[in-house]
Amino acid sequence: MEHINFLITATPSSELHGGKGSKLINLIKIGANIPPGYIITTKSYEKFINESNYCDELKDLLSTSYSKHEVIEHSAKIIDLVMKTQIPEIIIKEIKRGHILLNYANSSFAVRSSASFEDSKHFSFAGQANTYLYQRNINDVIKSVKKCWASFFSPQALLYFLHIKKKNNSLSLDKIRMAIIIQKMVNASVSGVLYTSNILNNDRNQMLISSSWGLGESIVNNSVNPDMIILQKGNFKILEKTTGKKEKKSIPNSIRSGTVLIETNTFYREKFSLNDNQIRQLYDLGLKAENTFNYPQDIEWAFENEKLYTLQSRPITTLKN
Amino acid sequence: MKKIGNGLSCSSKSDAEGELVYIESINDVIEIFDEAEEKICLVNDAGTRILGSIFSDLKGVLCTTGGAGSHLATVSREFEIPCIMNLKVETKELTELNGKKAKISTDKENKGNLFLIN
Repeated sequence: MEHINFLITATPSSELHGGKGSKLINLIKIGANIPPGYIITTKSYEKFINESNYCDELKDLLSTSYSKHEVIEHSAKIIDLVMKTQIPEIIIKEIKRGHILLNYANSSFAVRSSASFEDSKHFSFAGQANTYLYQRNINDVIKSVKKCWASFFSPQALLYFLHIKKKNNSLSLDKIRMAIIIQKMVNASVSGVLYTSNILNNDRNQMLISSSWGLGESIVNNSVNPDMIILQKGNFKILEKTTGKKEKKSIPNSIRSGTVLIETNTFYREKFSLNDNQIRQLYDLGLKAENTFNYPQDIEWAFENEKLYTLQSRPITTLKN
Repeated sequence: MKKIGNGLSCSSKSDAEGELVYIESINDVIEIFDEAEEKICLVNDAGTRILGSIFSDLKGVLCTTGGAGSHLATVSREFEIPCIMNLKVETKELTELNGKKAKISTDKENKGNLFLIN
């Protein structure tokens, strides 16, 4: 297939698979447990734009400079044209075939962006493009692919882009290439973020973990006050353990694709979300990832009971020397 | 100065002073779009994504929920502006803080403190 590549056999090329996708492929190669799936390549995004009935207008908008005062209008124009563009039939065909080959007919899927300059050492693009979780059927997956592409041109994303352009003036919207990662959902009992250096005090000899019940979006989206652990590196030791309120948790919507936030009951609010075995697994993962990428990592993870899945790994962009 | 709240300091440890603005929706952001300099924005979990459009102008960010692993905290660190997560304040109605002059500071244990100035 030309337009999608399975994670397990793909090459770690950020040009073809985006930063996030490329990192996931590298994580598979070092033995990390990644939810199975495939990547719709950046070539597919190029084909989507080039074969659009609005190609000339889109390319014009993407190459036009804009000020912060023009962001909302500029964003609306781009998103309108992206949403009106049909995904080429060959790409849809390969997505459907990919789903069959994954052989997870009754599973739900996560649809996530992976841009070609995402997750660099200087700019994380954290939260700038949308993620669509628990997409229950192939039609919802396909709709989410387009919505994911469109979300990269939201007002907040365009403003974030203006900010990074100050540091790298060669960047422009028409140089963005977006891959999309489709993966089987992890039915997470507990999820979170692992920093292989302590981002609160810049201590590279420590790790910091945020964790909470259910899906990790409740942490990255600020819906909860999570648990926090600080670990000593080199000689594994728990230095600090703080039980957060974990007042809500994100779970699958029982009726349609997507997720819902529900209240956490009192017992689980007071119970620490990670046991000792899970903390140790995260510590080992952190060391392995940092050694592989030769740089401190910001890792999103989830446990399905005692099985650890790595969802994303990117450089920590803000460490001070 | 009167201390009115504290939380987890997740970004720059520098002190910051500015005018408090409680942001609940994109309309609140549009209203201060051209005057975001010198502002310290206060959000709950619903307001975090929309702040991206004015981040580069802000003096600081306060959020009533969340932790160090959130996107808001990550982007605050990238913009090197002070960010207090899981902020607990004495004031019941956060809209009452609009327009007040405030100061953010961080102590040794990464506790972020919020003060009202006069």
